[in-house]
Amino acid sequence: MLAYLRLALICWLIYLAVTANLEPSNLIVGLLIGLAIAAILKPVSQPLSLGRLPGALFNLARYTVWLGIDIIRNGVRVARIVLDPRLPIRPGIIAIPSGMKTELGVALSAHAITVTPGEQVVEIGDDGTMYTHCLDAVSSAAGAEEAQRKRRAMLESIFE
Amino acid sequence: MEIIGQTLALVLVGIGTFFSILGVLGLMRLPDVYTRLHAAGKVGVFGAVFLAGATALIIPSLFGKAVILMVLLVIAGPVVSHALASAAYRMGIAVKRAIRDDLADERKRRLTVKDSTTNHPV
Repeated sequence: MLAYLRLALICWLIYLAVTANLEPSNLIVGLLIGLAIAAILKPVSQPLSLGRLPGALFNLARYTVWLGIDIIRNGVRVARIVLDPRLPIRPGIIAIPSGMKTELGVALSAHAITVTPGEQVVEIGDDGTMYTHCLDAVSSAAGAEEAQRKRRAMLESIFE
Repeated sequence: MEIIGQTLALVLVGIGTFFSILGVLGLMRLPDVYTRLHAAGKVGVFGAVFLAGATALIIPSLFGKAVILMVLLVIAGPVVSHALASAAYRMGIAVKRAIRDDLADERKRRLTVKDSTTNHPV
């Protein structure tokens, strides 16, 4: 019940931010939409400890900045590949062990890899191995496990 | 202050347009569905994210909308391109010019394990 209301509240706030309209009618419509979305999604109840929230938010901000830098660096790399007349791609699918224990952890690792230009998770194995298609498989394979270790440490600092 | 915001917005428009063009260029030049997804699904999304960022700076009343649009694009973009890549692989579309394919090796291994268990009932 608490998880349901929490999700409905978040959806409501997002709706209000998008519409930027605080008239009573809009407040009611947003609330109804939020409740409907929460009812469809059936959120899982998860213990929320407020004491950990500031630390988690700080780690989330740090992770976002790190991801942003990674995205820009790889964006430039992909730009160089696409603009090069010789088109120097070495595509391939490499296996990267995620090392995460939870499904959420694997999903977030896969998201971080896929949001980075030049790498994209095609399939996730039962053991959490991420089969990643890379534009340049040689250089990606060289740094993949190190990058995943860093990513994992950051994600765990947010959620644990 | 307004001049700083507008200059920054101009820079963001430039970067966003550059990435959008790059996405289209990659879509035309790259050889197969997987590599093209890199260009269209991600580089293209960044174009849109930067343009939304510029909108947030130029039109203050659209700030909330633009920021939420950026967040949603960054969350949903990779999900879409993963779904397309996964579907393409399951349909058996080949990875062109591949120098290695760990997933194919893994599938072969799984298939042979399955065969050996089904062909030789205990």
